[in-house]
Amino acid sequence: MSSRELVVLMKDIVKVYPDGTVALRGVNLELKRGEIHGLLGENGAGKTTLMKILSGLIKPTRGEIYVKGKKVSLKNPAHALSLGIGMVHQHLSLVPVFTAYENIVLGLKNMKPGKTEIEKLMDSTGLKVPLDEVTENLSLGVRQRIEILKMLLRNVDVLILDEPTTNLSPIETRELFKSLRSLKEQGKTIVLITHKIREILEITDRVTVLRKGRVVGSVETNNTNSRELARMMVGREVILEIDKPPVRVGEVALEIEDLHVMSDVGGEAVKGVSFDVRYGEIFGIAGVEGNGQVELAEAIAGIRRVLKGRILLGGKDVTQLSTRERYSMGLSYIPEDRRIALAMDMSVAENSVLTRIIYDKTLVNKMGFLSFNEILRQAMKLVKEFDIVISTFSSPVRTLSGGNQQKLVVGRELSREPSVILAVQPTRGLDVGATEYIRRLLVKMRNKGKAVLLISSDLDEVMGLSDRMAVMYNGRFTGIVDPRKVTEEEVGLMMGGYSIEEIRHEVN
Amino acid sequence: MKNTGIAKSTALILLLVVIVAVVGVVIYMSLTQPTPAQTKTSPTTPSPTTTLPTTGAATTPAGKTAIAVVYDIGGRGDLSFNDMAYLGGNRAAREFGLELKEVQSTTEADYLPNLRTLAREGKYLVIIAVGFLMTDAITQVADEFPNQLFAIIDGYVEKPNVLSVLFKEHEGSALVGALAAMVARYYNYSAVGIVLGMEIPVLYKFEAGYYWGVRYGEKIYNEKTGVNASPLRIIYTYTGAFNDPARGKTATQAQLGMGAGVVYNVAGATGLGIFEAVEEYCKSQGKTQGPPFAIGVDADQDWIKPGFIIASMMKRVDVGVYEAVRRALDYYAGKISTYGGVLELGLKEGGVGVSTLDDLDTFLKIAIQAGRKDINRDEIYAKVKAMRDSLPSWIWDAVKNLEDQLKNNPEAVQVYGLTFADIASRVPYSSESIQYVRSTLKVG
Amino acid sequence: MSASVKLEYVSYIGNVLLALITGLAIGAIIISWGGYDPISAYRGLFETSLNIADPYYLAMTLSYATPLMLTAATFAISARAGVFNIGAEGQVFMGALGAVVVASLKLPDQLYLPMALLLGILMGALWGLIAGLFKVLRNVNEVVVTIMLNWIAYWIVEYARIYVYYDRYRPEKTISMPRSGVLPVLVPGSELSASFIIALIVTIIIYLVLWRTRLGYSIRVVGIGLKTAKYAGINPGLTMLYVFIIGGMISGLAGALEICGRPPTYAITTGASNIAGLGFAGISVSLLGLNHPIFIIPASIIIGALNAGSRGMQIRAGVPLEMVKAVQGLIVIALAVPGFTYMLRKWRIRKALRGETGD
Repeated sequence: MSSRELVVLMKDIVKVYPDGTVALRGVNLELKRGEIHGLLGENGAGKTTLMKILSGLIKPTRGEIYVKGKKVSLKNPAHALSLGIGMVHQHLSLVPVFTAYENIVLGLKNMKPGKTEIEKLMDSTGLKVPLDEVTENLSLGVRQRIEILKMLLRNVDVLILDEPTTNLSPIETRELFKSLRSLKEQGKTIVLITHKIREILEITDRVTVLRKGRVVGSVETNNTNSRELARMMVGREVILEIDKPPVRVGEVALEIEDLHVMSDVGGEAVKGVSFDVRYGEIFGIAGVEGNGQVELAEAIAGIRRVLKGRILLGGKDVTQLSTRERYSMGLSYIPEDRRIALAMDMSVAENSVLTRIIYDKTLVNKMGFLSFNEILRQAMKLVKEFDIVISTFSSPVRTLSGGNQQKLVVGRELSREPSVILAVQPTRGLDVGATEYIRRLLVKMRNKGKAVLLISSDLDEVMGLSDRMAVMYNGRFTGIVDPRKVTEEEVGLMMGGYSIEEIRHEVN
Repeated sequence: MKNTGIAKSTALILLLVVIVAVVGVVIYMSLTQPTPAQTKTSPTTPSPTTTLPTTGAATTPAGKTAIAVVYDIGGRGDLSFNDMAYLGGNRAAREFGLELKEVQSTTEADYLPNLRTLAREGKYLVIIAVGFLMTDAITQVADEFPNQLFAIIDGYVEKPNVLSVLFKEHEGSALVGALAAMVARYYNYSAVGIVLGMEIPVLYKFEAGYYWGVRYGEKIYNEKTGVNASPLRIIYTYTGAFNDPARGKTATQAQLGMGAGVVYNVAGATGLGIFEAVEEYCKSQGKTQGPPFAIGVDADQDWIKPGFIIASMMKRVDVGVYEAVRRALDYYAGKISTYGGVLELGLKEGGVGVSTLDDLDTFLKIAIQAGRKDINRDEIYAKVKAMRDSLPSWIWDAVKNLEDQLKNNPEAVQVYGLTFADIASRVPYSSESIQYVRSTLKVG
Repeated sequence: MSASVKLEYVSYIGNVLLALITGLAIGAIIISWGGYDPISAYRGLFETSLNIADPYYLAMTLSYATPLMLTAATFAISARAGVFNIGAEGQVFMGALGAVVVASLKLPDQLYLPMALLLGILMGALWGLIAGLFKVLRNVNEVVVTIMLNWIAYWIVEYARIYVYYDRYRPEKTISMPRSGVLPVLVPGSELSASFIIALIVTIIIYLVLWRTRLGYSIRVVGIGLKTAKYAGINPGLTMLYVFIIGGMISGLAGALEICGRPPTYAITTGASNIAGLGFAGISVSLLGLNHPIFIIPASIIIGALNAGSRGMQIRAGVPLEMVKAVQGLIVIALAVPGFTYMLRKWRIRKALRGETGD
């Protein structure tokens, strides 16, 4: 296999985003003709960034790209396409009201292939699509096939697929893999971006593992196994040490029973999850982003509709209650994005009561007007207690730095005297100091006897803070474990789709 | 940085607005140059040099050297009502050596402020409101400025300092009705039509006169030719608007489709659509002139689509305005003791009538004066003359004959058991009385 | 108000002045192009609108500003909730119709005014509610719904004017409000009635609602982002519905006030021409006033002055109305540009916040 011809060579690719984020720190990648190449890594490892560079969507800060031995400087996706490189993105970009055929030939200037030609292509690749059906009536799996056909008609040699199986059913996944194999037979090179170890082992010929913008290793799939891959993917340098005194765990504060939640694109994002969180413990949920964690949190907060199952808060069924009622019952919610948690154009003072305003009667005076004094008092308390740097209380919250914004959110939620704290990615995008500070706050709340549900894709965070933890994969838990009694390899495998039973069974 | 951001995009959009505005104005100017709306530019603002002192001017009180005309929301360039008011005002200004001030209104909320502001200026001999829509506004300012003279055209206000100028439109409409019937019968059409603006009682007078005239014309035609065809169908349509040519066009197309040979325009600017519909209908059949024909209203509109407008029912707003000014001068000269009252202008007073070739000549002159280079006066005159000549002269004579009878003895002419005096006696019309006339004369 | 916000407003006022000067300058070019004297035209404009020496002209300006202030408040409160509600036009029609319905009834004298205003407010609210229900329940674009409702309101009013509430003696208009139901004129011999004071109070109330109440807080959060609103436990649909209803009430009141507080007719006239266009003019007033109720007050006075001064340009400088309108339209558009870009910028930010743009 190694004797095969080199199609793409990426050398020492560095990408620094305008906001200073370093996504790639000198990555080398080789793609050979007729191989399926897996690109494995956690969130933020740089997989998608690397492939966006190869498909001409973004420009590298530094580094060289050779296509078929020739050095190129990719200007845009069309340029990359003309060199035979095409990418199918995670979010598909088809015109919903067009038929499948119209979408496939959309943008082809000179010769539009006839339907018979496309049908021939469909036969040879196994990518079956009803050509005359309007796209919006088709399932996500079929839409993906349309995207792939689109690329094939443009004669790509290198086909990049970004997390293609995220929204597919197992049968659809199997069919897709069959088609990918037949494309490989036809000499195409396929890059598969994924975090699912099982898929890597099932279909790829070689795999390159990325972690935090660096290549950890590039191996022949036949010469590796799931454990090695998990270690490569997750392996970490620093273990967070936070003083966590033992606390007597109390009663059940939050209970989730067989919860099913709808996703934005149709279908279920959460496919039956059950667990409970007790007073005085941090329950962590780890997992690669996009496996249903956000939807789970929104369902618990009452923002997203529950299809099936129950949510109990302090023993009371709140499944049908509004967000307002849940907040007033002692639920605090730190969402995954502070741009959701704050009304950016409104003032610091006003934002300090954002989740309180709807139920807290002390904020309204006898005349029915908002009490500015009370709101200001709140804001001053937060600023002082959580050490938030602001210019004035009336400046729009968007003028604050990211760290101070997040402190405002976390401070606001923790100071509402909650009994249950739901924290999603509470430290994302923060510097070391702010991260440390917020993590300590969460532990402090636990020590005070609050129930904390921590959902994060940062494995260090979950493993370091949680008393118990679950790993979420494809809308389900692959296991609930004690973070002190599990190896990182096991967690990596769970994140890659293996259940804890399977893993332990293999060991025995 | 954010602030300069706004300034930059603001400047950019402003620039865009500027460009669009300049282009728009250029296009607007080049388009409107040839329309009679521009008449105002040349003769309206007469330079003080033209205001030579005449006999009239000698009797005006000190400081009052001008007259003001306030147009209704139809505005100048309507090719009829307001333009005619301008004609009369202009004529009076010229003859009496006065300055003419024209004021237009955007909405009806502007009437009162317009009239008040003029009255406050204190230099106008008389302020003339064109149209009954200004009734309330005139009533109000007349009280506030008892020493200022006002006149309202086509409206009635009972104040000592307001002259109400009214027209007997039913008389003129009867004449064009008779003409319409004879023309329709002559060309073997089975129907005649009338397209009206908004349903207001002023228009009922037109309707009643027209219906009566149609039945009368039919009778004359039968007597003259000895042919007893079944009675003409009379179709009427209220478009609901005075300012919507598109609706006028649709309504007319429908009437033509139902076999109308003549369509009478009683719809202000909406009527422009009537003319267009008739012209298109004829041209689609390869004709360069009617039948079918339209009938114009208020002003002489025969020249707008020469060959397709058989005649116009002229409401001599110009005579009304002129008279209002003349009476104001008489009042100041001490010739009459009160200015207020009703001045009713009918056939006898020359206040209404059917347009003639001479009237056409006058209107063509205005158009030429206004700088409409595209108008070929001789050609239009020839076309209209040819159209008129294509009818047997006895038809025109019969119209003339009816005019004399209406002037002298309206009790003597009768159709379907209604004399013209009966028609006249029902003015002002209510919806009940027009209903009665419609059913008696078998309209619809 | 923080320093940065203040700075923003200062720079905004600078932009407005820049726009005003640009508008006036191009207007001057157009006027002199048409063969008239721009200086005397502008003198006529300002002497018959913002002339401090003559209260009559100031009163006229304020009387034109009155309905605009209210229709602008309708647009503003909706824009604050992120709703592009251009239904004020139709709500003015319905409000005016409500007042006319009351005028047609036999009532004790002192009841006419309160009943007319009340029914006007209710009918405006109803019209807002319909638009709101379409938007909230069926997610129909509010621009489409409100435009259609504007036309429906227009034809309802026209039908009612011609066939139901026509004045038996002057059927080109509806029945007029009886004298006892008419608001007093503030400056004798002018058009300025107590409706100006009512409009002023209502606009200030809208300010208080937006910035001092829980509802106003919710409205502004909804306007900033639906996700944020939901997160905060606010029901965005219900909030938008409130906004439509309140907006309808304000514009309904504007319509009723035109019937009860604008001499001389105190009725709906031919083609509803005396109440037409107020809703749309309110949009530019609101944009000029940054969709802020307090800024809307001076903004409405500026636009009111342009309306009032149009006769000055005609009478004193002899500029024909077509050209007056062209020049004023230009000035109004120029004035609305800074506010519009300001709003666009905010919407861009909001879109970026929702993650709808960029990658």
